[in-house]
Amino acid sequence: MHTQTLNAFQVIADPSRRYMMQLLSKESMTINALAENFDMSRPAVSKHVKIMYNAGFISITDIGRERHCTLKQDGFNELQDFINYFDKFWAGKLKKLETLLNNKAKSK
Amino acid sequence: MQREVKHTWFFNQSLQEVWEYLTKPELLEQWLMKSNFEPVAGRKFQFINKDKIDAYCQVLEVIPPSLLSYSWRKGISENEITVDSVVTWTLIDKNGGTELKLVHNGFQLLDDAIKHEKGWDYCMNRMMELINTSTNAHTNA
Repeated sequence: MHTQTLNAFQVIADPSRRYMMQLLSKESMTINALAENFDMSRPAVSKHVKIMYNAGFISITDIGRERHCTLKQDGFNELQDFINYFDKFWAGKLKKLETLLNNKAKSK
Repeated sequence: MQREVKHTWFFNQSLQEVWEYLTKPELLEQWLMKSNFEPVAGRKFQFINKDKIDAYCQVLEVIPPSLLSYSWRKGISENEITVDSVVTWTLIDKNGGTELKLVHNGFQLLDDAIKHEKGWDYCMNRMMELINTSTNAHTNA
């Protein structure tokens, strides 16, 4: 199966994946147990799991024949980076506005 | 986890002057981006960066010259929004100058996702348990 790599926001943009994370926030679950909560095929659930895994939102531990999914912080850290990006973006823009207004005041 | 962006700046200029820089497209373009902004509640507009739409926006509230807010949505197209957020500008008169406050928040999906943060402690404990169990399982095997 082709493994998709999406950014953190694309990962949480999907309601099924958000629901999976919600379920996993209560307890770690096997892929089979996760699948029971969804009206979709097991491969479809696996695909979502893979996407969340690739983006660092969950870790997968093999226990016996079962694959256990557990929430992981890395994906959430990437979301934080996004907020930091906006923080820098606005700081830069406001600095520019300040320069503009100062120059305007001087030229008066 | 930080969920919003906040900045406060002081300008020597009057509220009216700063307000114009927030609301007139020809002035906005000089420090922020090109746009077809109009200070009318409900009006949809876009910010354009290098001929590409940077943000899909809609004016939420306008109280000249002290409050302006608009939605700030980013994505591949208007039907595929990945960042759904709100930008709010507040202008306060300070002895003839202007204190400008910016709050960029309401990251909707982020707020949804962060609800899960509470689950982490539980998850960490659970993971430790699992790791221990799997170690035992291996030992027993």
